[in-house]
Amino acid sequence: MQRSLWGPVVTRNQNRKRNSQERGGVSIQMLVILVPVLFGFMGFAVDLGRLYLVKGELNQAASAMATAAASQLNGTTQAATAAANAAQSLLDDSLNSASRYNLGSIVIGQASVGLNSGVDPTALFATAQEAIAAAGQPGAVSAADGSTARHVTINLNADAPLLFWSLLSLGQSRHVSIAATAVAGMSAPLCTACGIEPFAIAPIDAGDTTNFGFTPGNAYTLGMQCTGAAPALLAGTTAPRVAYLIVDRYDSGGALLEDQQLFRIGAQGMIPSNPAFACSRINNTENIWATAAVRACAAPGVSQSVQNLLCGLSTRFTTTTPAACSANADLNDLVAAYPADTNSDSITDYPSYDGNSRRVITVAVVDALSTGGAMQVQGFRQFLLNPTPGVDPVANNPADANGRYAALYLGSVMPVKQGRFDGSCGATAGPGKVVLHQ
Amino acid sequence: MNPRTRRGNMIIEAAMWIPICTLLLVGMAQIGKITYTYYTLRKTVYSIAQYISSQQAANFCDSADTVIAAGISFGITGTTDNTGTPLITGLTADMIQVTPELFDVTTQSLVNWDTTGCDTAAGGTTPQFIVVSIPNGYLIQPRIPLLPVLDPIPLKPVAKVPYGG
Repeated sequence: MQRSLWGPVVTRNQNRKRNSQERGGVSIQMLVILVPVLFGFMGFAVDLGRLYLVKGELNQAASAMATAAASQLNGTTQAATAAANAAQSLLDDSLNSASRYNLGSIVIGQASVGLNSGVDPTALFATAQEAIAAAGQPGAVSAADGSTARHVTINLNADAPLLFWSLLSLGQSRHVSIAATAVAGMSAPLCTACGIEPFAIAPIDAGDTTNFGFTPGNAYTLGMQCTGAAPALLAGTTAPRVAYLIVDRYDSGGALLEDQQLFRIGAQGMIPSNPAFACSRINNTENIWATAAVRACAAPGVSQSVQNLLCGLSTRFTTTTPAACSANADLNDLVAAYPADTNSDSITDYPSYDGNSRRVITVAVVDALSTGGAMQVQGFRQFLLNPTPGVDPVANNPADANGRYAALYLGSVMPVKQGRFDGSCGATAGPGKVVLHQ
Repeated sequence: MNPRTRRGNMIIEAAMWIPICTLLLVGMAQIGKITYTYYTLRKTVYSIAQYISSQQAANFCDSADTVIAAGISFGITGTTDNTGTPLITGLTADMIQVTPELFDVTTQSLVNWDTTGCDTAAGGTTPQFIVVSIPNGYLIQPRIPLLPVLDPIPLKPVAKVPYGG
């Protein structure tokens, strides 16, 4: 007996009366039966493989969008818009780097031949539980406004094309919709915060683990610690005066000069690769920056190092260099690198602040200020820099004789860019960083 | 019809079907290979981007920066010190490009993070996004019997993640 590809079928047909017409009919019959089966199985291999790939691409895009949006949540009303814009900027293809799917061929959110894709509006939530519950729910809407939102849910969907299954009756639309979702938000309090401003302040009330005795919404005068009778407060700020010391971040082997390093840190520039020059850890100790020494309050000015750091802070208000800083030629090259905050007004009601968070600083709260010994870090808290009244252009005053600047106490409103949770440090309050929940 | 003729028909049938089936099967395997390679490449660039963006600092001005090199090595070999074997044969660190991007608030648009001021300002502000790509593509050669040799297909996955977090 002969065997061919269609052996069993032919064998069955051998029992019937055969003629040449019937025999021709076998192939066509087989074709009709086998082609859909074959295409079905080919679809499993090819189409299902591609759907899996597309799902991965969409998940990646959703994760990046959620993380970008969550990093903009700074506790202001404006944050809702900023978060939506940040998520949208991942779909901006002007630099050819937008999030794409289908083997990187279609930008998400843009229509392609017969294939649609779209992203639901960024949904904001105050708690991670609410945000996770909204994941995968198309049309989920924000349950929190920008000032209370801490977590973001992104839902998106896109049509993936079908190749073999599109030839079958069940896949006649030639595409199938795939959904992806991601949830990101502020984490638990960080133990190690990197790239924060190197100011150390003492608590007003060491027993208050949430705010260290500071009142959210109050503007304080932060001034360089000095000996003798304390200098006056800046106009519009409340007592007590908050003294600070500058934590040592000097990288003696760095490419930049010491005054440039101070300026860059104050201006929120790139942080050095070595964590020793960038990170503070709760319960670890910090020393003061050697050249930022304490002087008498009645002295004609603070040390040059303090002034350089304050010059860096002024870039957060204005791109015009204050006179006290332009005298230092080392800094002139750096000034242009830092954009100013979009809002440089004096703020008393933080939720109404609509800038881009350039003025938000994160400082270390230590057990007690000490020029000689080590200061133990108790936590990190955030302030909003306010301009010093009467300074033109609107900014803090780097030339202030006591290194004073005004800052609104915020608490822990905004995620820190970089940090770690390594080990247990016992922090129950403080800023976190953006993490992907799902 | 004598059995001899019938055998002839079978051979013709088989001769018709076998190339088509072979093409389908081999084509399927090739599509599978390309899809799998693309998926792996995409995960590689995404891992690199995630690694670099979550380190406390990377100096984007220095092409030999240890954090960036470790990130690229992590994506390619799974080890930060480049001791492992590459997960994809032929994928090397010099094929991978890391580009930081910034959202310019004054023009409200995405711009490439400026590296011109690197020597003095160490790049100025921190970038907002890290884009990892394979600009010239990872070349994959589809091999299908009976067909002329096809051009290699460049696979160019791009991953963009926000800096920090």
